[in-house]
Amino acid sequence: MVQTKKLKDGSRQIILNGKQYEGVTKVLSELASKTKASAILFADMSGQLISQRGNTDEMNTTVLSALAASDFAATAEMAKLVGEEAKFKLLFHEGEKRNVYLSNVGDYFFLVVVFDVNVTLGLIRIYTKKAIQNLQEILEEEQEEIKDKDIIDSDFSSLLGDALDETFK
Amino acid sequence: MFINWALQEINLKIVYYGPGMSGKTTNLEYVHSKLDPSLTGELVSLKTKEDRTIFFDFMQIEVGKIKGKKPKFNLYTVPGQVYYASSRKVILNGVDGIVFVADSQPHRMEANIETLLDLENNLKQDGHSLETFPWVVQYNKRDLPGVDSIETLQKKLNFFGVPYFEGVAVRGDGVFNTLKAIINNVVQNVQNQL
Repeated sequence: MVQTKKLKDGSRQIILNGKQYEGVTKVLSELASKTKASAILFADMSGQLISQRGNTDEMNTTVLSALAASDFAATAEMAKLVGEEAKFKLLFHEGEKRNVYLSNVGDYFFLVVVFDVNVTLGLIRIYTKKAIQNLQEILEEEQEEIKDKDIIDSDFSSLLGDALDETFK
Repeated sequence: MFINWALQEINLKIVYYGPGMSGKTTNLEYVHSKLDPSLTGELVSLKTKEDRTIFFDFMQIEVGKIKGKKPKFNLYTVPGQVYYASSRKVILNGVDGIVFVADSQPHRMEANIETLLDLENNLKQDGHSLETFPWVVQYNKRDLPGVDSIETLQKKLNFFGVPYFEGVAVRGDGVFNTLKAIINNVVQNVQNQL
């Protein structure tokens, strides 16, 4: 399972370990080669980009992830307003040159597939569905826990404070 | 907070909340204009024709590596106008820390209070509460004539005694101090879990 925890203050912590990251990246590579998609992103629901494949050099994928997450969250609210009890599972944006296909991967993650209009949507749908199953399996495997003290130890915040002073001077 | 252990990245989400025209976007614009371009990404603003935020502003900043870890801060603003209540809720998804940008002018006090209650309400729906959640207040527009005193603002808005800062965001006064405080606050909170 992906390591998730609710901190005392109520905020949510999600940790993806090395093995999971490798697995996710491999699935994205396979999906990219099978679909000829221009770009494939895997991100968490708060909008943080985790992994990307394809031709993403010309694309600001950090911003794309943030926008896609908000897109998801906004349509979840829309779902409620129109009386849909579950969240919408996928979003599709159709352009003249490129299309974007977004689909959730469990509750915490989502996948963005950007592809040229000459690639058929059916192909994208079939391979994306399979990729999502693979991703879910990877994310659900039992994993060794990463301890909090290994993430942020006692002098982390003072060192961060110094780094912030340096950056913001 | 999202941690990518393979890349040793620690991602934090900071949201600037507050009533319309209080200076949330201005805070981000100042940070963006002053930071070394190598440390900050593009500032994306989803605005109306009238330059009002319709959904959010977003930018990511980095500070280099700390003990092998790479912290990344994702800064968002919310649209302040009452009309966009559900958009504000959406932006709070996965938030780690909040900067409440209050407008110091007396005629905006009611809007400040209303927005703070809206924030508390949205946090509650996600199982958080202003009492325990990491947040700081910035009393903005301190340069304008006839603004409320800090005592008045503190009494009416800062009922949990969180860190507060005086700001003139257009000039950058208080902007970095506010951001530093919320980041430290969030990280301290994680350390306190140990």
